[in-house]
Amino acid sequence: MHWFYVREAMRTFRQHGGLTINAVLALTAALTFAGLFLLLAHNAQTALRLIGDRREMVVYLKDEVTEAQRDELIGRLTDLYGSVKYVSKDDAWKEFTQEVGDPQLLESVDQNPLPSSLRVRLRPELLTAAAMSAAAREVSEFPEVEDVRYGAEWVRRLDELNLGLARGALAVGLAVALALVLVVYNTIRLSVLARRQPIEIMSRLGATDAFVAQPFVIEAMFEALVAVALALGLLFASYRAVSSQLEGVVFLPWSWTLGFVGAALALAWVAAMMALARVLRAVRS
Amino acid sequence: MITFDHVTKRYGERLALDSVSWHMEEGESVVFLGKSGAGKTTLLRLITHETLPTSGRIAVGTFHGSRLGRHQRALLRRTLGIIYEDFRLLDDRTVFENVALALHITGRFRDEDVVPGVLHALEEVGLRGKANAFPRELSAGEKQRAAIARAIVNRPAVILADEPTGALEEGSAAEILERLRSIHAEGAALILVTTRREVAEALPGRILELRDGALVSGDPMGRAAERTHREAPADEGARESAAAGVGHEPQAEETPPSREAPPMAGTAPPESGPGG
Repeated sequence: MHWFYVREAMRTFRQHGGLTINAVLALTAALTFAGLFLLLAHNAQTALRLIGDRREMVVYLKDEVTEAQRDELIGRLTDLYGSVKYVSKDDAWKEFTQEVGDPQLLESVDQNPLPSSLRVRLRPELLTAAAMSAAAREVSEFPEVEDVRYGAEWVRRLDELNLGLARGALAVGLAVALALVLVVYNTIRLSVLARRQPIEIMSRLGATDAFVAQPFVIEAMFEALVAVALALGLLFASYRAVSSQLEGVVFLPWSWTLGFVGAALALAWVAAMMALARVLRAVRS
Repeated sequence: MITFDHVTKRYGERLALDSVSWHMEEGESVVFLGKSGAGKTTLLRLITHETLPTSGRIAVGTFHGSRLGRHQRALLRRTLGIIYEDFRLLDDRTVFENVALALHITGRFRDEDVVPGVLHALEEVGLRGKANAFPRELSAGEKQRAAIARAIVNRPAVILADEPTGALEEGSAAEILERLRSIHAEGAALILVTTRREVAEALPGRILELRDGALVSGDPMGRAAERTHREAPADEGARESAAAGVGHEPQAEETPPSREAPPMAGTAPPESGPGG
């Protein structure tokens, strides 16, 4: 691409600056909205990953289970579901007394009623309500097992939250993509119409569609680039403001940021090409 | 080079051209004379493929067929230099930039490809001193000369002029006609449409008269025997001007491409036709 086309695009900016500024502001608003949702989704995903790490299945053992049976069961559970930690009756009692805190409350308990257990830290692919439920059902049928607990309701709610965020991100992404395409499409259409006379003259001098179109494509990409830069600036400022009040908040990782910029530019390019394909046909004879 | 074979053009019910046939060779000059609404501008628009014939066949150099693709149409127009009555200059750029645009459109962007050609074209029309002026700073005659520079900068095989003196006062009109004669004398074919007989007669070549969309007088096929220059003194004057270097002597560093190698191949004239 030659510098000439950039100069032609700059000519449009100078002559129709108001149109450009309006487009940049509209795009910035749409991209900031999308970016805020991305930031929210990313932070929620990070938080859920941390919570997900704590999702575990507790397998209570029958009192009569021997050491050999227990070790064999640990081997089976490790192979099928994830890492296993054995908690003896004594360990369970110690944990319980620590949680209760006041020893006087426990004086009336004459013997340790707690069973020994296996805490299974499930593999990532099993961290859904359905998979955990299936695993719990299977494990509860093992003869050495008294009971299985995994916080079914909690896991189900986490899954619903995850699904809601994914659906929300998709909906917001689609809405913003549509808004971005419409803004760029209409801006380029108006730019072309505003420069109708020069385009007609160029056309009569033998200009091809590509020659006429390139400055407008540059215009669209420039508007999208400025808008995405402004949006990222606003998002970063918002992140800094929130992170000073709330611990653990993170900004978008580089991969997400680059994807965001790339998607905005790609959509602007598509919208500009759509507008030019339609409006140049009408303007050029 | 350009052939119209029984070309008819209708705009709805209105008949703009009625089975018009004519032909011109490379380097010829043809003037179409007629009143407003006679079909002159339609004829030019058909040559540039801005509009399509309702029936009949048009060949412009190697470009045949009634419907050219968009890219082909652009290529066709690059082989033509077009001059309009209202100049059609771009107000937001200088005279130099207006002329350079015609070169940029053909894909030439480097200074060494653009600057010498533009300066030579401006020299040819006597506007080198106004290269940095904007159209609003020029007189009507200067605007038309800038438009002529833009039309000739690509050294086209054919110059199309649509009432080029229509918006000019007498002195400027005579000057523009002199420029056109000079360009034609260098080898470019010239097609000019006008409502004014004195303009038609001031140029060399055939005069074809259009009335209500039909050719009513002249020699449409331009057989060799009839192709004489009726305005020998004017033509001589043009040649003398060219020889004397009135805006035609290129400087060493700005030698333009020769107009003697037109980009369009000639088209053989049809074997027979009306008025032949």
